[in-house]
Amino acid sequence: MPPGIRQLAGQGIMQGLGMAGGGFGTELIYSFIIIIASLMIYFGTRELYNLTSHKGIKYFRQAFLFFAIAYFFRSFIKSILIIFNVSAVREFTPLIFGPISLFLFMYSSSMAIFYLLYSVMYKKWNSNKIFWFHILAVLIALTSVLTKDLRVHVGMNIFLFLLVTLIVCLAYLESRTKTKEHKYNLFVIYQLLFIFWILNIIDILVPNFFRVFQLLLYLASIAIFLIVLYKVLKKTGAA
Amino acid sequence: MAIKKRERLEVIKDILKIIKDNNKIKSTPLLRQSNLSSSRFQEYFKELLEKQFVKQTNYDKDKFISLTDKGYKFLEKYKTILGFIEEFEL
Repeated sequence: MPPGIRQLAGQGIMQGLGMAGGGFGTELIYSFIIIIASLMIYFGTRELYNLTSHKGIKYFRQAFLFFAIAYFFRSFIKSILIIFNVSAVREFTPLIFGPISLFLFMYSSSMAIFYLLYSVMYKKWNSNKIFWFHILAVLIALTSVLTKDLRVHVGMNIFLFLLVTLIVCLAYLESRTKTKEHKYNLFVIYQLLFIFWILNIIDILVPNFFRVFQLLLYLASIAIFLIVLYKVLKKTGAA
Repeated sequence: MAIKKRERLEVIKDILKIIKDNNKIKSTPLLRQSNLSSSRFQEYFKELLEKQFVKQTNYDKDKFISLTDKGYKFLEKYKTILGFIEEFEL
């Protein structure tokens, strides 16, 4: 681990126990809000899916189910870091809690984004590609658990972010050419979701990396999820 | 003039609406009014039966097709469904 990162991680541990930069209470509240919003989206669209068996709705729901799972494991990992005073989740023993929870967090958060992407793109991709996304998510999770080099973690997530951004931009441009009305706001929201996905992952893999901006990160992430929840509730007639 | 191919949900809606308008209907007039080929109609009808949108009942030695509560629900929610799919580009 580069000395600068080690020092940052070490300095941040005790601060993490307090409220500055995000304490235990802040972490719980943050995760709770995201998990509840995600599950509300998942269950709020259940009736529509039961009536239609529409694939797009299915993938959209799966995305938010995986977001709920991912944020559950995120809060679990953060709890471990804070309560047991470790600098990285990999250092936590027994094995079952540390690396396995990291694996599950990385796998479910990757699948959340992939399902969201797939819900928009599946009609353009003629073959069923979701299996390959599962494979990719497993590889990402394994890399995160087995590699201790933070540059690999950050680099991998930035690469994924760029890939997803490219696909989203292409989808947006295509929708602009095909229809007069284009969903600019939707693509902006999804792009912001992807940005905060990356930032949340870096926040887990490099503890206290966003010490100063952590609260802003949390508030912005909550805002994005609540915007999506509001849109879902409005369109399903619940709001 | 090119005829735009109906989306799957639109076809389901059209079939259910025909049944609703007729209260109960036999399969042959339903096929005629649905504007589908026999094979495509059979596929959709099988799906509607499996999903319990429609039911078949014997009446006077003939089989009639009518809507279930779920079928009525689909028609009621159709615009909501379309709005949701369009909103999220699904």
